Amino acid sequence: MSDAAVSPRRTFALDGLMLRYAVLVGLIVIASVGFSLANSNFYSITNVGILLRSISVLFLVSMGMTFIMLTGGIDLSVGSNVAFSGGVGVVALTTTGSATIGFICALLAGMAIGWVNGVFIGRLRLSAFMVTLATFALARGLALVIYDADSINVDNAAFLWLGGTSWNNLPVVIPFVALMFIALSVLLYRTTFGRNVYAAGSNFNTAFVLGRRPERSVVWIYVLSGALAGLSAIVTVGRVSSGQPWAGLFLEFDAITAVILGGTALSGGRGRLLGTILGVLLYGIIINGLVLTGTNPYLQSLIKGMILLGVVLLDTYTQRGKSV
Amino acid sequence: MTKRIDMKGIGKSFFATRALDNVDFSCVSGEVHALVGLNGAGKSTLMKVLGGVISRDEGIIEVNGERVEIAAPADAGRLGISMIHQEYSLINELTVAGNIFLGRELRRNGPFLDKSEMARRVKQQLDRFGLDLDPNRPVRELNSGEKQIVEIIRALMSDSWLIVMDEPTSALSEEDKGRLFEFIRRMKSEGISIIYISHHMPEIFGIAEQVTVMRDGKIVLSERTAKTTEDAVIKTMTGTELDGFVKPHKDIDGNVTLSVSTLTKPGTYNDISFDVRRGEILVLTGLRGCGAPEIAKAIFGLDADYSGTISYGGKQLKPGRGPAASVRDGMGLVTENRDKNGILPQLSVRDNIALPFLEKSVRGGIIDGKRIDTLVNKAIADTSTKTSSPDQEIRFLSGGNKQKICFSRWLDPDLEFLILLEPTRGIDVHAKADIYRIIEELSERGVAILILSYEIDEVIMLADRVITLYQGSPVSEYTYPNFEKDQMLSDMAGVGQPH
Repeated sequence: MSDAAVSPRRTFALDGLMLRYAVLVGLIVIASVGFSLANSNFYSITNVGILLRSISVLFLVSMGMTFIMLTGGIDLSVGSNVAFSGGVGVVALTTTGSATIGFICALLAGMAIGWVNGVFIGRLRLSAFMVTLATFALARGLALVIYDADSINVDNAAFLWLGGTSWNNLPVVIPFVALMFIALSVLLYRTTFGRNVYAAGSNFNTAFVLGRRPERSVVWIYVLSGALAGLSAIVTVGRVSSGQPWAGLFLEFDAITAVILGGTALSGGRGRLLGTILGVLLYGIIINGLVLTGTNPYLQSLIKGMILLGVVLLDTYTQRGKSV
Repeated sequence: MTKRIDMKGIGKSFFATRALDNVDFSCVSGEVHALVGLNGAGKSTLMKVLGGVISRDEGIIEVNGERVEIAAPADAGRLGISMIHQEYSLINELTVAGNIFLGRELRRNGPFLDKSEMARRVKQQLDRFGLDLDPNRPVRELNSGEKQIVEIIRALMSDSWLIVMDEPTSALSEEDKGRLFEFIRRMKSEGISIIYISHHMPEIFGIAEQVTVMRDGKIVLSERTAKTTEDAVIKTMTGTELDGFVKPHKDIDGNVTLSVSTLTKPGTYNDISFDVRRGEILVLTGLRGCGAPEIAKAIFGLDADYSGTISYGGKQLKPGRGPAASVRDGMGLVTENRDKNGILPQLSVRDNIALPFLEKSVRGGIIDGKRIDTLVNKAIADTSTKTSSPDQEIRFLSGGNKQKICFSRWLDPDLEFLILLEPTRGIDVHAKADIYRIIEELSERGVAILILSYEIDEVIMLADRVITLYQGSPVSEYTYPNFEKDQMLSDMAGVGQPH
């Protein structure tokens, strides 16, 4: 290949990634304009705050899901884990009265479920789908036991601060999500851990032979996803001022859809956190817009399913076209 | 009845690249037509046009002078054209006969399969070509050579008269190669026509009647093999005289880097002992199944199931300590199967090169991108890897360039010992010369190198010392420059070994 033939290819590769994000931004604009025409409340500052807060948990969980899907895995247990780690946190809080202990217990509980996933998937090489399907049921069961199937009210101001407080119209959870995005971006792009995530997802065997210990990386990636579920649990409890045994229901579905919408390859090895952020925004705006425009709630699930199917179809076909 | 197929004036462009430019190519029944060219010369594109996998932009295809349309693989099948690929398309759980009759099974009463009749017909075909294979064996038990035979028999039994073989010998042992060539001769005498894509000159001049050389999407030579020579073909392929690789002279008197003593894994290798010194290139050679790759696995810590000892830098290694420990101690491995465990396909050239020694570019927990860029750019230049940029995804590169990247990741100054399994498998002549040069440069720098190679010419070209293996046992040892090719070949083939 001559040097002359070389440069267009580079711009083309960049275009592929940028094109995806440009399309997502375009769709976000179209969706916002569309919904604001349909409902004048959509664009109010208050609603933007409410919208962002309502998808803050989805942001956190989806970023963890991005790491996992980059390894070619999946985490079906995140929604149940939010309920479980929230339960552990709330019970620890009400027993000890200490918000700090409550925080730590919620995080550790989330990481514990993640660790179980990681060990079975990374070390014992079981199917991620099957392992997390099991912990999906298991964590929900534990949550129901902890809560005795009933919600627990929380009035500790420190514990509720992250999910419940607003500065003027800005919920504090929004800058918190932004900080997490920056921290996770540094972790993914600028550390050996992040490079190992991509290596494990692109070719596990090669990563192993090159001494990258992908079996170990995978464990930590699921622990990370569990920790983000624990954080999400704290945010969730803060939003509604109570711990709910059915918190996080269908959250794994929303997260997977948002991550795929953001351009992360189902097969692993390709994708970026920015795409996931845009994916969550677009998905959140569509769902929020459907609520505000008074769309029949029973139709929402149907629409979500259609979005997922459509994106997977589109990605699979464009990918097939490229690989020939 | 003789049949012929003519492709006339075939043209095909991919965006700005002219992949095929006014190509004329024809095949006559009962002949082998060898198609050669470097990677990217257009051979595969031409064959994909013939097989209906991709459409052509211009040109016509005629069978026996009548114009035909090949718009889909099914059209090619109807015209009696079959492709045998490097990766076999067989179903492991079915038997030989089951695979051959897949999709057009013979039935007895209603829905029930007539297995004995299918086996009988397959057996009849196998006998016709003098092949010894049980039609009732499951394909999963067959070796590569036998699987290839099944593919070919399947093509023949669906009335194919033109068979395209893409690098058919790349995964075959010497014995299987011999059997394949005999099979090809029998097919010729039955009026079958074969298009034979290969890099191996002796094979081409051994079995082909016609040889066609492609370069940059054009035909540059098409001649009866009797009227041309191996050198002439090589010369037109590369367009220039082949860059001869000459092994530089060197003295090997450094310390012992790796020492293997009485290494034994029952049924795989047996009583293997050798030392590799700093800067020395030791080559293990034999036929497929000689046990050398398994020895390499034990040394790299991928297998704990052996007896005997392996010492590295004077210290005895713990069996099965894992590749991470090996890499940390300055060992490297280039695997024999790039696509399976050599590359990270969706990642950039940069990531593929930088991965094993990533920790060395970390400052305060954060990767120093500039340092990585410097290392990667140097590695790309040193190996003359052709890539549009370090950001290019590695899967878009040619086999030779992928292989160079598998080497360039080990150019780190801390590397002390490198294991190479079939270092030039499936790559073109140019890339081969580059790879040989990289290997020599590494050894001059003091890296001890252990190579497994099945190609005798490569063994002789690279080695400072050679150990021949037969069925897991060492036969004899040769030191540069006293390499006796014929003796090595008979060692490998087990001549004089007890039955």
